[in-house]
Amino acid sequence: MPPKKRIFPRQKVCRFCADKSLVIDYKEVRTLRNFVTERGKIIPSRIYGNCAKHQRKLTDAIKKARQIALMPYAGPTYL
Amino acid sequence: MRRYETILIVRPNVAEDEIEAVISKTSSIIEGDGGTIIRIDKWGLKKLAYLIKKESQGYYVYIDYAGIPASVSEVERIFRIDDKILKYLTVKQAESCDPEAVKEELASAEAAQTSDEGETKEENAGTAEAAKTTTEVEVKEEKSSTSEEVQTSDEGEAKEENADTAEAAKTATEVEVKEEKASTSEEVQTD
Repeated sequence: MPPKKRIFPRQKVCRFCADKSLVIDYKEVRTLRNFVTERGKIIPSRIYGNCAKHQRKLTDAIKKARQIALMPYAGPTYL
Repeated sequence: MRRYETILIVRPNVAEDEIEAVISKTSSIIEGDGGTIIRIDKWGLKKLAYLIKKESQGYYVYIDYAGIPASVSEVERIFRIDDKILKYLTVKQAESCDPEAVKEELASAEAAQTSDEGETKEENAGTAEAAKTTTEVEVKEEKSSTSEEVQTSDEGEAKEENADTAEAAKTATEVEVKEEKASTSEEVQTD
């Protein structure tokens, strides 16, 4: 008999709700960097537990930053 | 009157006075339509995240202004014609804007910053550097822990341990990010 799968529900809190001083701005790449993978893909909200509202804003900000070349569309460019 | 911000990327090999000319031309268009310039920031030469017109670097200029939609389209038309400009992005910040009030607000914020600066600057300089070196490690740790989390999310057994480390890393980075933010905003101010 396989070991019973135990689930540990862990309450993840949205960072931006918990800390009001942390603002989402497409010009602040340092904040946005935490929410993309090394290759520049946006990390889904289920990983960090961002709330839907902030995840939406984050996505918009990252996409704007990509347009103006502050963030990569796909991965760091190796030249 | 709406509040807009425009970021434009100029080719890196363009001389300083030519950039100056582009900025003055833009501001004259905006002011000609009855708008006001709130702030112009030159972010300087930055590395681009990807190649634009075969350039890997660009000179960033940030313009914050209140204006009418017609002036935005005119400014962008000029940008498209000018081949010194690699790319631009205009974002509407507010539907209505009182430029005088905004300017006053900015001035008071700046005054508050400068009075703070004298006391906290030395401290910041020390911590900023420390923060920089530690964040790299922190970020790496976080990444490894999250990937582990994803892999073991079904197994349950090892999860609790992971969760703890992830949380610790998270809180650590949060602080780090805040500190860094403080230092960057100061940098911008002093520029």
